[in-house]
Amino acid sequence: MAYRVIVIEESPELLEDMVTTLKKSPDFEVSSTYKTANAAMGPAAMFNPNLFLINIDNEETLNKLEAFVDTFQGAYILGTMLQWDPFKAQKALEAGITGCIIKPFSAKEILEYLQLYTIRGKHEPARYISFFSPKGRSGRTTLTALLALLIAEKTGERVALIDADLQFGDLPIFFDAEPKRTVVDATQDIKLLTPMTFAPYFMEIKKGVSLLSSPDRPEYAELVSPENLLEVVMMTGHIFRYVLIDLPAGFNPLSLNLCRISDVVFVTTMLNSGFEIKHVKKTMEMFESQESEGRKVKTVFTRVNPFTEEERQKIAGRLGYPVDVMIPNEYRMISIANSGRLSRGLPADTLLMKTISDMADKVIAGGR
Amino acid sequence: MAVAVGNSIQKTSVIISVFSTSPGIGKTVVAINLAAGLAKEGYKVCLADLDLQFGDVLNYLKLTSTHTIAGAQRALLDNPETFRIRDFLIDYNLGDLSFSIMPAPLYIYDAYQTDVQILSDIIRRMDYFDFVILDLNSMFSALNLAMLDMSTIINYIGVIDFLPALKNYKIGYDTLLRFEYEESKIRLIENRADSQKLIEGKDVERLLGEPFYHKLPNDYPAVNKSINAGQPLMFAAPDSRLTKSFYDLVGRFTNRQKNIAAPEIQTNGGGFFKKIASFFGF
Repeated sequence: MAYRVIVIEESPELLEDMVTTLKKSPDFEVSSTYKTANAAMGPAAMFNPNLFLINIDNEETLNKLEAFVDTFQGAYILGTMLQWDPFKAQKALEAGITGCIIKPFSAKEILEYLQLYTIRGKHEPARYISFFSPKGRSGRTTLTALLALLIAEKTGERVALIDADLQFGDLPIFFDAEPKRTVVDATQDIKLLTPMTFAPYFMEIKKGVSLLSSPDRPEYAELVSPENLLEVVMMTGHIFRYVLIDLPAGFNPLSLNLCRISDVVFVTTMLNSGFEIKHVKKTMEMFESQESEGRKVKTVFTRVNPFTEEERQKIAGRLGYPVDVMIPNEYRMISIANSGRLSRGLPADTLLMKTISDMADKVIAGGR
Repeated sequence: MAVAVGNSIQKTSVIISVFSTSPGIGKTVVAINLAAGLAKEGYKVCLADLDLQFGDVLNYLKLTSTHTIAGAQRALLDNPETFRIRDFLIDYNLGDLSFSIMPAPLYIYDAYQTDVQILSDIIRRMDYFDFVILDLNSMFSALNLAMLDMSTIINYIGVIDFLPALKNYKIGYDTLLRFEYEESKIRLIENRADSQKLIEGKDVERLLGEPFYHKLPNDYPAVNKSINAGQPLMFAAPDSRLTKSFYDLVGRFTNRQKNIAAPEIQTNGGGFFKKIASFFGF
């Protein structure tokens, strides 16, 4: 069955190109064409279309997308752009369209993009979840990895892990992965990439979970500009429904930038000398001084012992902030991470996995 | 080769940095006990907490201070002519032990505002000390690289109990060599060397292509006691093997004569109770 396509494009040349391309392919039949979304809104329904190609370089059309998505539920809607613009693409995704594609494109590319965006999951904006720790050695990377596996398993949607701990990222070793391309390559190439050409920079480590690795030499971190990394993370959200970001320890322009665009930031800490609570307090105060961060920053304490409500109150009392998540100790964790077999996970019936599973449920349930 | 500082050589201090590429492996404990050990031998010592955002030197010594390196930076910028480094230091005193401390900023915002050039200048102005100990954090940041450049000796600390930590230790060492720090300047120090672990020390040395310069044994109860008391190990746990090991390490930095009275070394005749007692650090 061929797609019944509506094309919305104001440039006559581009429109003619697209229509010619579509007509040559047995997979598509062009039902109608319009110059603007406004013009298409009423009449397009007459053709019972199931695929829209909509020029979102047009500001007015971009603003109309949400109403369009409401009217044509069930149809695929691809936003077309001459150049990848992360902010337009983001806005289009927030309106609920299927995804974006760069003009000009072949019929084959349309099919490939439809497939990429279908396996991504729900046609909703990506959820960006960052994992921060004040000093490190907090269980942050382990938690990030386990959550990624659980979210993918529970939702069936695609989950990305971005190792933004650029100097000493541990995600590759946890999964015994030797990726060919890293976040450094991605940030250098990003201006030339599209979701389709960017997807292979990720390495699938388990069904539904893919890793964008940190570089293997600490000095390569210097090559990553915070602005480009932000674009990399934003494009990741077009290929994956969940984007989990493992940040380097402490505050730097890069981690602050990524926290700013995140829906949730988990400040992860392992209690050891006890002074860690002081560090978390400083961290929370720093986040509070950043405008608009509000309560999207959550506190997580790992290896809490004793694992009791009383202990939670005790920590919260000293901290002056709530303890949002508390994770128990699991002695097998170290040997599993040591063996590079984290992707197999732990038995689901351990208290550790139950706790992280609850946390995954909350992440999935918590919309914007 | 350890570095000797005769009293005849003045006006330049020996700068000893304590660096690692994994967090939470005991840098601050090493820095404090090096400072205390050197001070105990009569040297003038300053310990600078350069983990600017989350420094623990004051925490581990139960000190509070309104003097910080951030204040020193502001003063140096505002009034370079009248700036005196000693106005921004605080002293740790216990018994006959005394050394100075340059505390880390109190607020992250202040840490964020620091400037590498000015901080380097501040450290240079500590040249009236015999030894300046730098407690760094675990990153190749601009600040840390500037400090490593200034250092006479880099103590590169590792705890090899965890595969990612081993990877980061190896990568960090290779990076230091690529940055052309002389091998003789880098001292590989294994911390918690005899703790129960999956990875053998000798395998690590083979991987690094270099033996450890010094191995500090594991004594968690002693370290815990030291941090809780806010005292260096020589006071909080004088009989610990770790305390003894720090004494030896300090001796290698000062070329201490062997015949100087060493603290009582426990020989094998200690007996069951004494072993248990020292295990629990009392």
